[in-house]
Amino acid sequence: MEVLGQLAGGFATALTPENLLFAAIGVTLGTLVGVLPGIGPALTVALLLPLTYNFQPVGAFIMFAGIYYGGMYGGSTTSILLNTPGESSSVVTTIEGFQMAKRGRGGAALATAAIGSFVAGTISTIAITLLAPIIARAALAFQPADYFALMVLAFVSVTALIGRSMLRGLISLFGGLFIGLIGIDVTSGQERFTFGVPELLNGIDVVVVAVGLFAVGEALYVASRMRHVKEEIIPVEGSLLMNRDELKRSWKPWLRGSAIGFPIGALPAGGAEIPTFLSYTVEKRINPRAPWGKGAIEGVAGPEAANNAAFSGVLVPLLTLGIPTSATAAILLAAFQVYNLQPGPLLFQNSGDLVWALIASLYIGNLMLLVLNLPLIRIWVKILQIPRALLYGAILVFATLGVYSASNSLVDVLIMYVIGVLGFFMRRYDFPVGPMILGVILGPLMEKQFRTALQVSQGDLSIFVTRPISLIILLIAGVAMVAPFVPRLMGRGRRLTVGSGSED
Amino acid sequence: MSEASSSNGQHGRPEATRVALLGPRIAAGVLVIGAVFLIFQALQIQQGAGYSVVGPGTMPLVAAIGLLVLGGVFAVRTTLMPDTDLGVTAAAEEQVTHWATIAVIGGLLILYAVALNGFRLGSFQVPGLGYIVATTVFLPAAAWALGSRAVVRNVVVGVVIAVVVYFGFTEFLGVRLPGGLLDGVLP
Repeated sequence: MEVLGQLAGGFATALTPENLLFAAIGVTLGTLVGVLPGIGPALTVALLLPLTYNFQPVGAFIMFAGIYYGGMYGGSTTSILLNTPGESSSVVTTIEGFQMAKRGRGGAALATAAIGSFVAGTISTIAITLLAPIIARAALAFQPADYFALMVLAFVSVTALIGRSMLRGLISLFGGLFIGLIGIDVTSGQERFTFGVPELLNGIDVVVVAVGLFAVGEALYVASRMRHVKEEIIPVEGSLLMNRDELKRSWKPWLRGSAIGFPIGALPAGGAEIPTFLSYTVEKRINPRAPWGKGAIEGVAGPEAANNAAFSGVLVPLLTLGIPTSATAAILLAAFQVYNLQPGPLLFQNSGDLVWALIASLYIGNLMLLVLNLPLIRIWVKILQIPRALLYGAILVFATLGVYSASNSLVDVLIMYVIGVLGFFMRRYDFPVGPMILGVILGPLMEKQFRTALQVSQGDLSIFVTRPISLIILLIAGVAMVAPFVPRLMGRGRRLTVGSGSED
Repeated sequence: MSEASSSNGQHGRPEATRVALLGPRIAAGVLVIGAVFLIFQALQIQQGAGYSVVGPGTMPLVAAIGLLVLGGVFAVRTTLMPDTDLGVTAAAEEQVTHWATIAVIGGLLILYAVALNGFRLGSFQVPGLGYIVATTVFLPAAAWALGSRAVVRNVVVGVVIAVVVYFGFTEFLGVRLPGGLLDGVLP
């Protein structure tokens, strides 16, 4: 099989000592930031982006992939022991996981999360290996109008399916579109929204936006509440292993979670929240006799597997179509752009070596994470005990460093702080930040496809509905937009309320 | 004004259903005014430069009008048809927010950036203190503002982070950071 040959080539690249080291650094850093409450993989990749300008792209991406996966593993630790979801997709894990920790089964909860993540990650990586080349080949037929439709779908799904309010999601998205437009228009050379500030001519770098929103915004938010809200860390007691019964109750939820998470993540309308909730609901229905609300291990095993599978699934539209469907994926897209690589069908043709090394590193990273997480869990838990004041002070230091080292510009740093204040108010009034990041990155790409499509059709807007691919995608986007309102219209208005953690 | 609580709030625990919408209202106002300003800005972008069906001004106008419409709807949701969910969230936030901390951290951040880089006053360039000095001062100061009183430990951590980052970046990653006051002393 052709795929296996390419994958073998990928392993040959990924298994060189240098790249193994990058993978190890990536998964360690990823776990570290995943464990720390408030900072996630999106922020970490954004902060590291300026440092990797001198790296070989293969090494950098292997490291980023490690951070991406590691962040998920680490995130479950915070959910289970601290009852604070590190990211919105870990909200469900807190429900049963924290209860297990309180009842002295924290070790088992962490173990089922880690092994479940490994199982789901491996299954999903196999699925990526088989699916991605096929989708990439099919996507060669896509034209600008279709890409425009796909980006509309990505926007709709991220704003409509995530967070508590579609209105606030849309405001966040349009704010991002505005920020993305700042600077000189490449096609016409016109200045747009520069307000006479010369530093704005080159636009606002996505790193500046991401660091501002995620790091400074989050730090200000925590700072504002520090004096009133105290957190409780549950110590990990007893065995770190699952007993036979817990293992028996875990393995089916792992598989079901993977099966739920991957397809939903892989759709251009992805995201990891829906699958975790879905998996939780499914497990609850299948195992009605489990001690729900009192620490049912099924409620940790299933959603954690779904979470990991969905995160892997998100890589499919990112690599094959160039469409990010989560904030972290958007940052990864920005990373590709730094290296002048455009994810999409041509990536597999032009940079096949890189893509396959990246996919191979996902297998390796998953294994490393399992090895790193199971025995070392007590060390990761120690990290939770870093004094919060020092931790958030250091986050501000590193945020400033990340932006300043990239540009040596005081103005960039100040813009980043302003965006941080914006992020603080968004966090406070429950505006999701994911759509804004997506708007900044995808907005300019969407405009380019829109203009090219209309260039081809000589200004005829009907091109978006006469091409079947584009029409179907736009229809799906329409359904995704309306779908959240259907249950309410049907009177069964119990909405899933999703916490407002940063979407990573 | 923003105290309007729902009917079941009268008995039991009134603070659980307290609704505060002043903050969101201000946000909506800022959004609408900002969007109107952006529409004027978008209209000033010259459309005719070069041949293209969709000019450079179209997307900015779409984004600005979108913000205006959404800002308008948001304004309605904070006044005429109040979003109770949001009001409750905002009220809960209000109770735990300590504004002085935010102000102090914000001020410290600006001082930090300026101290790092230096700044221009007319034609006169004021030099910065450099990375190591600025970071060594900023980290313990920020930690103090965040409530930590372990000054000695925080200063030690500040020095270590500052020195490790400075040498790591300049020696190994090839990224220049300002030496500032220590310019003559550092290798």
